Amino acid sequence: MSEFEKLRVVIRYEFLKHIRRRRLYWILGVAIVAELAVLIGLPALMDGYPDNVMVMAALLSIGPGFATFGAIFFAGDAIAGEFESKTGYMLFTNPVRRITLVTGKYFACYAAVILLVLLGYVIVSISLLVIYGNVPIETAKSFGLCLFYAGGVLSVTFFFSSVSKGAMGATVMTLLFTMVISGIIESVLLMAGKPSWFLLSTAGDSMVYVYGGYELFLEGVMPNGGMLPFAIETPDIGLAALSMAVYLVVGLVLSIWISGRRQLT
Amino acid sequence: MREPIVIENLSKYYNKFLALDNLCLRVAENENVGLLGPNGAGKSTTLKILCGLIRPSSGAAYIDGINIAEKPEQALSRIGAIVETPEFYPFLTPEETLSYFGRLRGMRGDRLRHRIKEVIQLVKLEDWSTVKIEKFSRGMKQRLAVAQALLHDPPILILDEPALGLDPRGVVEFRQIIEEVGKKKTVFFASHQLGEVTQICNQVAIIDHGKLLAYDNIAQLEEKYQSLERAYLALTGEPIE
Repeated sequence: MSEFEKLRVVIRYEFLKHIRRRRLYWILGVAIVAELAVLIGLPALMDGYPDNVMVMAALLSIGPGFATFGAIFFAGDAIAGEFESKTGYMLFTNPVRRITLVTGKYFACYAAVILLVLLGYVIVSISLLVIYGNVPIETAKSFGLCLFYAGGVLSVTFFFSSVSKGAMGATVMTLLFTMVISGIIESVLLMAGKPSWFLLSTAGDSMVYVYGGYELFLEGVMPNGGMLPFAIETPDIGLAALSMAVYLVVGLVLSIWISGRRQLT
Repeated sequence: MREPIVIENLSKYYNKFLALDNLCLRVAENENVGLLGPNGAGKSTTLKILCGLIRPSSGAAYIDGINIAEKPEQALSRIGAIVETPEFYPFLTPEETLSYFGRLRGMRGDRLRHRIKEVIQLVKLEDWSTVKIEKFSRGMKQRLAVAQALLHDPPILILDEPALGLDPRGVVEFRQIIEEVGKKKTVFFASHQLGEVTQICNQVAIIDHGKLLAYDNIAQLEEKYQSLERAYLALTGEPIE
């Protein structure tokens, strides 16, 4: 039996595990609530929906954005859980290479996140179609960037999962890294007028500014026309995509390497 | 004589703690060998190395002549194992779990379905085969562990305290299963239950502080020390009056 066939088996059953877990449905629920908050809250608080379909599309990206964070909750225990809950004593005694197991788990997590993100963008597209009568082509680009971002977040989570003793530690460390640490550095760099496209959080924002950059977004939703005390330059989409691809590859390769060396004592 | 399990000068350090100290052991084909020793003697460490879960600090372990550290997948394809207290994915059922592990071992189609049914019947989990494992007691998980170890009909069984958590009936049933399959397989299993070892095994290896103290036929040890219990106590410390 080839390793590729084993990989398919691992993906199939790891995906089945995700489908059976309540957390998938919780994350889906949160993403839908976020979309509804925009769809219902915006006309209630402002004078109807924004005139520009691009602004509304950017605002609705919050749903798929939340769905992307599902990656952290799916992947946090992907590797660490095998050691923490000792299921690895069963799985690792099968004649399968660790690289196959970790890669299979990665693809299964990715498939679950893609499912959530896809549902998020279906809601975005239907909403835009109903409200504005058209769906901008940038929605497809935003979807692609969102998948890139999900892959990057997933790889970072896999890295922390491969070095952590427990799933909770891996999840918390990833949340700290992607939201707090990256966020703080991003804010500092933005205020200093320095580029921050290499940060995962900035690169992830590309799914929003693909609709027209910060200026369009701020003009559309801020009462003072988007004036900020400092200038924000919209990062290059290509660089953002490259940055996310680097996180995706480096994180995954590191997690495979570390998992292969880790012993189940 | 073929020797499916060969342990050569195996040493294992956990930081500075020496868990295995130049352990040497050879298990002949179709022998049922019990690995005895007090807590911390190195039994689980030995079995974990044989199952490729940890790497030795020095020395080597071979399964059917294959160095487990060098070619773990090849070596693992020849064994069925239960290591420590078995845990399974709570969201899967026994059928799904066995299907997952069976497919990873190259089984599929009718052969896999038939075999899953067979081993589930063997461990008496028929009524629970489609119930999520999150509802299972420790004893039921132990039964499932036995089923997964036997699923692919391996020539070698490596078992670590396999009857732990089973109720008295479960212990008897487990003993019967291992006695039956042990006629055609090489069984290497660690246990604290001397009675269990006596009923299942024809040979025992007694280790302590990572060193092999005795490796002999049970009958010969009983003849020399009057009973296996006395042999164990004499070899692993001061005899208890």
